[in-house]
Amino acid sequence: MSEQWMFYFDPNRCIGCHACSIACNQRHDRDADEDDWRTVTHLERGEYPDFQELPVSMSCMHCHDAPCEQVCPPDAIVKREEDGLVTVNRDRCIGCHYCAWACPYGAPTYDDEGLMSKCNMCLGEGPGSGHGKPPKQKPEDGGLKPSCVDNCVGEAIKAGPVSEVMAEASETAARRFENGAYNSRVIVEPMDEDSAAGMDDVADASIDANDEGAAAVPAGGSDADGGASDWLNG
Amino acid sequence: MTSSLIALETFVGFRWLPADYWDLSIPVYLYLAVVAGGAYLAGASAWFRRTLGGGGGRLEPELIRWGFLIAVVSAAGAGLAVMSHLAVVYRALLFPIYLTNFSSWITIGTWILVILSVIATLCLVLALFGEDAADAGDGDGRSLWPRAVVAKVGVLPTVDRLVDRVRPPTGALVALHAVGVLFAVATIYTGFELAIVETVPLWNEPVIVPALFLTSGVAAGVGLTLAVTLLFEREIGRLAGGYAVAVGVLSGVSLLIAGIGWGEVAAGGMAATASYSALTEGTLAIGVLVVALGLAVALVVGVVLGAAAALGRLPEPVERVGGPLLIGSFGLLTVSGLVMRILFLLAAEQHPVVVVA
Repeated sequence: MSEQWMFYFDPNRCIGCHACSIACNQRHDRDADEDDWRTVTHLERGEYPDFQELPVSMSCMHCHDAPCEQVCPPDAIVKREEDGLVTVNRDRCIGCHYCAWACPYGAPTYDDEGLMSKCNMCLGEGPGSGHGKPPKQKPEDGGLKPSCVDNCVGEAIKAGPVSEVMAEASETAARRFENGAYNSRVIVEPMDEDSAAGMDDVADASIDANDEGAAAVPAGGSDADGGASDWLNG
Repeated sequence: MTSSLIALETFVGFRWLPADYWDLSIPVYLYLAVVAGGAYLAGASAWFRRTLGGGGGRLEPELIRWGFLIAVVSAAGAGLAVMSHLAVVYRALLFPIYLTNFSSWITIGTWILVILSVIATLCLVLALFGEDAADAGDGDGRSLWPRAVVAKVGVLPTVDRLVDRVRPPTGALVALHAVGVLFAVATIYTGFELAIVETVPLWNEPVIVPALFLTSGVAAGVGLTLAVTLLFEREIGRLAGGYAVAVGVLSGVSLLIAGIGWGEVAAGGMAATASYSALTEGTLAIGVLVVALGLAVALVVGVVLGAAAALGRLPEPVERVGGPLLIGSFGLLTVSGLVMRILFLLAAEQHPVVVVA
């Protein structure tokens, strides 16, 4: 396989404006009432004045091990050799929804026909459009920048071949990714000291929750770097 | 250095994904497929006993007939249920062309269910039609349902002659029934369909869930076959007692496996704990009680009553109520098996988004 393309997310730079999800809908001509290919979830905890909110932008992560592809009975979901993107051949989809359960990120959506569609990293435009397309090109080579990346006002989302995204990531994020955090499906920046400091009260109050949730945190997801923060299961 | 778990929110905010994800048709499908396997095993075991063991009792032909009939109807029901859920049915009907991913349990399961359906139908036709079947009932056996349907159409003698003409030799029949047994056991795939879903800890038990689905489903299939048979053959003989014991033991094993799984879920991570809470609080807790009651009653009634009948030590007063008792308890068992699968979907919680600071 050629080099895998992947997403990068920096929660410190995300302001939760939803420009990414709206831009995605526009690029792919998705109706407002359809499920979004890219979602912005506002994680909340506590009550005023001890209230924290963390926006998390998510879409299909084009996982290197693509659980959706493994369970898809008609081979409608394809993990492409050429760029690692996960695309959908809607001419084979039977609409069984098995992929929705298998996906750790809730990426598959279903339209009125019951067929699956999801992010194709703007390999094409519209549901199923990425399938069978030539390899993803970088913008400097004439390729289309993913609309979520293009429209992110804080540059919180990036996308590209693994080596290039790694080069732009912080040393901590890159090291964690290499160590297999989040099953190496996505590169996430640790939350900075200011953000982490704001969570101290929560830290004291959530010791029990931490114990209960230990199993939900993936291998490598525990904090080994002090002060750093991570998100996403996987 | 502080480590804490903050800002938790279940990734899928519902206990139950919207109906267009997986709806009631899925537990029905998951259940009927294994019930078909269990009913087939009941019919095939009676057939082996009659053919190879020299059993000439009155109950074997009835167990064979009802076992294969319930297997065919259940398999058909499972197929209809799963197809009613699909977006593009014709692609599923063309499964040899479209379902090409043999690492997907849906593909594997489709083949298992289809092959089991074909074998069960063949076994049913061979058991139901022909000279032997005609001799078994009143007159030409037209009272035996569904022979009665064919008789009403007026083609019963023709069908009897045709089936006798194409009937394979005993060796081939033994092979056919044996292959059917393999595919009946292979309905364990219904458990694997859920067990491989890593995002849902309630399901992601590669041993417990498949084993539970198999034992509970086969118990229900055999129990249903015996219950329907006893509706018409009120007498609980040694053979019926043996089958009742088998159902009771399978129910007990199911209860044991469910208990182990219950402990695993209770001690699991965040999503498992959420599933556990869902199963212990609110309306789903009633379902858990129904499942536990169904399995426990089938265990006690099946083993105690069945063992007494199998040993020929059933007291006369008990014998009178034994039939209705078995029918009632196995009926409850059948209902509880479906409720169990509905609970598996209703209580499913995906791993949440987790932020660790």
